[in-house]
Amino acid sequence: MNNILTVARRECGAYFGTPIAWIFIALQIAILSFFFFLYSPFFIIESADMRVWFGLTPFTMMVFAPAVTMRLWSEELRTGSTEVLLSLPVPVKDLVIGKWLASVVVLLASVVCSLGIPATISWMSASPVDWGPIMGGYIGTVLAGMMFLALGCWVSALSQNQVVSLLVGVTAGIVLVLALSPDFAAFLTSTSEPLARTVEALGVQSHFRSIERGVLAISDVVYFLSGSCLFLALTVFQVELKKQ
Amino acid sequence: MDQSHPGGVSVTAPPSTLEKMVIEADGLSRSFGQTRAAEKVSFKVKRGEILGFLGPNGAGKSTTLRMITGLLAPDEGTAKICGIDIASDPIAAKMKFGYLPESVPLYDEMEVIEYLRFVGTARGLVGSDLAKGIERISHRLGLKAMLRRRCGTLSKGFRQRVGLAQALIHEPEVVILDEPTNGLDPRQIIEVRDLIRELAKECAVIFSTHILQEIAAICSRIIVIHSGRLIADGTPEELAGEYREGWQVVVEGSGVAPQRCGELQLAEGIPGSPGETVHQWLGDSIPDLQHLQKRLQESGSPLVQVGVGRESLEQVYLRLTGGEELQR
Repeated sequence: MNNILTVARRECGAYFGTPIAWIFIALQIAILSFFFFLYSPFFIIESADMRVWFGLTPFTMMVFAPAVTMRLWSEELRTGSTEVLLSLPVPVKDLVIGKWLASVVVLLASVVCSLGIPATISWMSASPVDWGPIMGGYIGTVLAGMMFLALGCWVSALSQNQVVSLLVGVTAGIVLVLALSPDFAAFLTSTSEPLARTVEALGVQSHFRSIERGVLAISDVVYFLSGSCLFLALTVFQVELKKQ
Repeated sequence: MDQSHPGGVSVTAPPSTLEKMVIEADGLSRSFGQTRAAEKVSFKVKRGEILGFLGPNGAGKSTTLRMITGLLAPDEGTAKICGIDIASDPIAAKMKFGYLPESVPLYDEMEVIEYLRFVGTARGLVGSDLAKGIERISHRLGLKAMLRRRCGTLSKGFRQRVGLAQALIHEPEVVILDEPTNGLDPRQIIEVRDLIRELAKECAVIFSTHILQEIAAICSRIIVIHSGRLIADGTPEELAGEYREGWQVVVEGSGVAPQRCGELQLAEGIPGSPGETVHQWLGDSIPDLQHLQKRLQESGSPLVQVGVGRESLEQVYLRLTGGEELQR
């Protein structure tokens, strides 16, 4: 555990000691806020919920998560600092988890910074705010974010070029969010029912939709946590592969 | 105890196998595609030794060091650090050594003290041990004034020192340095050499270089690697003095097309440019100086010096790594 925290602390220093994390957080909140206040019925019916906000989250996440994680391994591979890192008496899995944890801290900071939105809604709305769905939405955001960040870590370990890592990460995110979407699954139903069910089960949107409504099902939690573990395991495998 | 290496010269093993061996490389081999980067490289290093890893660029020095440090898995063979197999217990083995890679990669956004704290903590130092470690190593390497500077703003010399500091912060039993004087100015090179000599009082130092003078200046033992093979292993004196003794001539290059210089085996002529001297090894046969002089005059290459002597370390190195063929 100490190793993981040591690595996470270093990575957090790299994120927050430079403008990287703050730029990502500001951009994400600005974009989400723009679309939220543009498309939410908030100003029309003074609806005190954040369904539009959480509905947009997977789409922003598929771009911002790889943008946050692209440097984690690519930068190390490019500069050769993996040579020192991997010569330290720290297991590769601790290095991988530590780096991923630092990116999760950026996500949590982003979540904390966005708490101004529900506060604003609560202050402006005539009707009382139902905090349950909002809490559920935030938990879902963190869970989905963890999986997207783990995916980004893996992609980052594939290339020493950060731009390549970003583009591959975004593409993988598009597959998870858009290609494996409930709409596509519905289209496939006429062709093959099992395939359609598989597509829906693998996609992010079907799991995030119930969270977006404030329902936190165990199956959805398991989906996001097992997805995170899978991508972290793939990252460990990829880093170990560098020795081969 | 003598051993022989494939295609190489006689080898003198460490004097006593009873002394504690801190590095044991046994038959390390590694290929990259069709290229054989290291082939059955075996050697041992004991505490207090400074082992120079000598070889031309691309000879397989870094590959061998990377296999010893566990950064690269060998196709065959094993490496042990202080008796611990790097493949079967990498964490325990990595506690025993400090490693400075050739490119000295640092985290540019970190302050030197933050970087040393990070590496020290990862190497198991905590609390006062960590503070003492940083204090000791920054004092020793003259980094005290630089502790609050960001790594990205340091000069090449100070980057090298920070790289050395991370490798030494935990007082390892083995220090592995890949081309540690690369890119340093003469003063910094001398400082690094002094440091390596000092380190050898407490631990074993193994470092790679392709600079011959460096090896001769500080090493107690030299290993020559060429085309992935270990071709010589011995002290600088053994390598410089024991291999060949005989007649040598020094001839000024003519810069003209090579011509044979008769039965004296003075190669295919003297291909060096005018003014450049070329050492030629004649071996045991006593040269017919008059004949030699005549042939050299015909080829336009004046004889500068002739006499009996030993091969220098440089000549041994060139011969071992194929350089002699260039002179023939």
